[in-house]
Order: sequence, then structure tokens, then C-alpha cells
Amino acid sequence: MNTTLILARRAFREGIRQPDALLPTLFIPLFFLIVNVGQAAKIFPTSGTPFLAGQNYAAFQLPMSLITAASFGTAALYLVEEIEGGYFDKLRATPIPRASIVLGRLLAEVPKSILISTVMILVAFPFGVRIRAGIGGYLLIVLLIAGWALVFSGLMQLLALKTRSAAATNSGSLVFFPLLFLTPSLVPREQLSRPMEIAASLNPVTYVMETARSLTLYGYQWATIGRGFLVVGVGLAATLALSVRAVNRYD
Amino acid sequence: MTTTPAIQATELVKTYSGKDGEVQAVRGVSLSVEPGGIFGFLGPNGAGKSTTVRMLTTLMTITSGRAIVAGIDVASDPDGVRNKIGVALQEAGLDLRQTGRELLQLQGRLFAMSAADAATRADELLELVELTDAADRRIQGYSGGMKRRLDLASALVHRPEVLFLDEPTTGLDPASRIVVWDEVRRINEAGTTVFLTTQYLEEADQLCDQLAIIDAGLIIREGSPQALKDELAARVDLGREPSLDDVFLDATGRTRDRVAGQVQEVRS
Ligand SMILES: Nc1ncnc2c1ncn2[C@@H]1O[C@H](COP(=O)(O)OP(=O)(O)OP(=O)(O)O)[C@@H](O)[C@H]1O
Ligand SMILES: [Mg+2]
Repeated sequence: MNTTLILARRAFREGIRQPDALLPTLFIPLFFLIVNVGQAAKIFPTSGTPFLAGQNYAAFQLPMSLITAASFGTAALYLVEEIEGGYFDKLRATPIPRASIVLGRLLAEVPKSILISTVMILVAFPFGVRIRAGIGGYLLIVLLIAGWALVFSGLMQLLALKTRSAAATNSGSLVFFPLLFLTPSLVPREQLSRPMEIAASLNPVTYVMETARSLTLYGYQWATIGRGFLVVGVGLAATLALSVRAVNRYD
Repeated sequence: MTTTPAIQATELVKTYSGKDGEVQAVRGVSLSVEPGGIFGFLGPNGAGKSTTVRMLTTLMTITSGRAIVAGIDVASDPDGVRNKIGVALQEAGLDLRQTGRELLQLQGRLFAMSAADAATRADELLELVELTDAADRRIQGYSGGMKRRLDLASALVHRPEVLFLDEPTTGLDPASRIVVWDEVRRINEAGTTVFLTTQYLEEADQLCDQLAIIDAGLIIREGSPQALKDELAARVDLGREPSLDDVFLDATGRTRDRVAGQVQEVRS
């Protein structure tokens, strides 16, 4: 079996053995969801808010929570722990392609992300949140979010490889966090103030959010879906290329 | 009869470039290690032992010079070398979230063994390092000695020709240290060449048949423990049989008096 898959299996096994690392990933985004909806649902009632397309405000907020959950990847933290602890060198002393060390960890983020997204969508279900695009829409959303989780984890792994420091990697993920909020997180992009709209338009996260949102609220809007997947695809290609380069050049 | 050396290093140099300029950690180390023995690499803190080991084990680029390990050039065929060497580094780097058995099986799989072969080999090694009872517990809960022994076992999964051990007994209690020594001897008797670094001169005296002492990136003494002691006895009259400690202190220019004096300075 391919060494990337062998290492991915190990990383996944570790992930499920460390449920305390997984729980915040689930609870913090759900907390955001409840708080945001609790605060703003009255301003945006289902009837009288056209952009909700007949659903309640929680349906509008769900994509933000999914993206937040996907931006909690533990891959980089485990990687930097291994760099500091020396197991990373142990792996580098085996005759495997260096790339599989980072790719294995990333691959393990995919089932984890799919699991978390599914749980969150199920939790939203009793609150009346439905995915307008149906099962196909669910699959696209989960795929898109998993892709985003890879982009985020890939960037953090890159930081871990470059800095070799847990403290720096941690700060890195905090620096990244504001990007999640420079998005049309509370209202559609057209309704933002002009400077915020410009900032949101420059932020790649916006397009991921709009894709998940359009599948949830409106069905299949292919132009929007295409933009979201393009952003994730380009982001993924870039982070993977940079990570593989960084691990190959690690000295 | 001439045999090809297990390790042949020629004028190895390593320069680290950091924020505050360059550090020449290894400044031209040449070594020749015969197959079948236990070679001890001694030196004070910061002498360049780990740096040399990391270059010989493909973990770090060689600034200049050349290294051939198990007959293969380290720089031009690192994977070839990795297949023939076992490495246990100073930090005993282990994945604490796995069990001992999982770690060994994973190691086997990374050396291209089938799942069944890796499982069999893991069982053998757990037996060898006396960890069978702890095999299915997370490594997190292992003692320092158990971690060392597991690390040693993981370096042996693919039956390497040359085994590198960077300070294999640092931080171990005397009993655990003797357990590791016995294991190293057994591994060596089974035909593996061992290259080990150590801070403990007694360890070197007990285990090694050849030694090199490195200080400030340069090799300053080389030979069998007995030859090094004889050389010192012929040169300096200590009024007793010199020990390896005397050889070490003489070689590194840290006489007992001066070492005592430095301690004094720190205290006052
Ligand atoms: N990554 C690095 N960057 C810069 N300098 C380094 C690096 N690693 C080691 N050094 C320096 O190189 C020199 C040799 O270090 P090395 O770790 O090889 O010594 P050592 O003999 O193994 O010491 P010890 O007995 O403490 O393990 C030291 O001066 C150390 O500070
Ligand atoms: Mg060292």
C-alpha cells in the first residue's frame, strides 16, 4: 500500500483517539451559529427577508459555521509536535517520499472534515435548516468544505515546516482567523458597506461561503458553485505544491 | 584482507547559517568505521556529534566532504542508505499517541514490508527489547527507559547493516542503562555495525572497540580504548593507570584542575 495512505491511516487513528481535540472543532462553530442566529434572527425574519428564500436565518449562517469548523485542522499542530519531538526525523530516515509525510496527514483531514460537516448539518436539521439542492447539494457542500479544510491545514503545515515551532504555528492560525470574518458572514455581499464589500470580494473565503450558501438556500447556481470550487482548487494546488517543496527541502 | 568500511567519511563539514551569522559545527571530520564492531563517538556538549550523525544518516545536507555508509554515497543515494541503516536519535522521537506495537508495525510498513511481515517483525522486536507486556499501551505512558528501548527496536525493524545511536543511554537510570548495553551488544553480535555517541566514558569503555573523540568540530583522538590509554600513559605520568576519563580530559584540554577551577569561578 502507498505510504501516503499508510500515514493517513495513522493520522486518522490518532485524530479519533484524541476526542478532546475534536470537540472544540464541533462546539465552537455551533456556538457561533447559535449566538449569531440568536442575535440577528429577529432582524431577518423568514418572511420579509428575500435573501433567505423562505428558510430561517440559521440556514444562512450554517455555511459560516461549516467553514469555521474546517479552519480548526489539527494536522499542523500534530506535525509541529512531531518536529519538536523528533518523530518527524524518524520518518525522514525511512525510504519513503518526503511528500507522503505531509500528504498523509492532510488526507486524514478529509474524512474528519466530512464527519464534522455532516454532524453540523444534522444538528441544524431540527431547527428547520434544509439544503435546497438536496442530497447532491449536501455532497457538494461537504466536498467543498473538505477541500477548504485541506487548504487551511496545508497552509498551517507549511507554517509548521518553516518555523518548526508550535508557538508560531498556533499564532499563525490565529492570524488567519480574521479572514473568516472579512466575509459576508451576516448579510449577503451586496448589502455590506462599500469598504467591507471590497474587502470581502478580495477574500477567497467569501467565494467558498457563497457557494455553500447558494446550495443551501437557492439550489444549483452553477456560476457561484464554479467560483467556489475554483478558489478551493487553486488554493489546494498552491498549498500542496508549497508544502511538498518545503518538506523536500527540509534540512 | 581488506574489507570495505561500514562508514567512510572524508573531510565532512557542516555550516549552519542562522540569524546571527554562520556556525561551523563540524569542521572536517574524517572517519573510517570497520564493519562488525561498535564504534564510539565521544565529545563534550556542542562538539558536533549529533550534527555528524545527522549528516551520516541522510537527515541533514552535507556542506562539504563526502560520506559513504554501507557502501552507498549518502548525498547521491539517500534512500539507498536509509534502507541499510537504523537510526535512533538523541531525542528518542516517538509518536506518543500510538501503541508500541503500532509504532513498530508502521515502521515496518514504511520499509515496504507487508502488513503480515510487519506484524511478525514487531512481535520479535517487542520480545527482544522486553516490551511485549506493554505492547498495546500508548507510548505516552511509557517510562524513559521503555521509550529508549522502543526507539532502539524501531531502528531495527528492517534489519539494518549499520545502526546509529545518538546518546542511547542519556537520562536512563543505571539499571536501564545496562539493559540497553546488553541489547546493543546482542544486536552487534548478530552482525550489525554500531555507531554510537555518548557522554559516558564508562559506556564507551565497556561497549566500544574503536573510539573517536571530537571537540569543536574536529577529531582530536582516534583508536581503541586501550590504545588511547596507552598513548596517554606513555606521554604523561599520572602515577597510575590512565582511565578513559583521563584520555578525554587530556584530549579536550579540560584538565581536572581547570575543570575544578571553572566550577569555582561559577560559584564565587
Ligand atoms: N540547527 C542548528 N542551527 C545552528 N546551530 C546549530 C544547530 N544545531 C546545532 N548547532 C550548533 O552546532 C554545534 C554542534 O552541535 P551538536 O548538536 O552537533 O553537538 P553535540 O556534540 O551533539 O552536543 P550534545 O552533546 O549537547 O548533544 C553546537 O555549537 C550547536 O549549538
Ligand atoms: Mg547531540
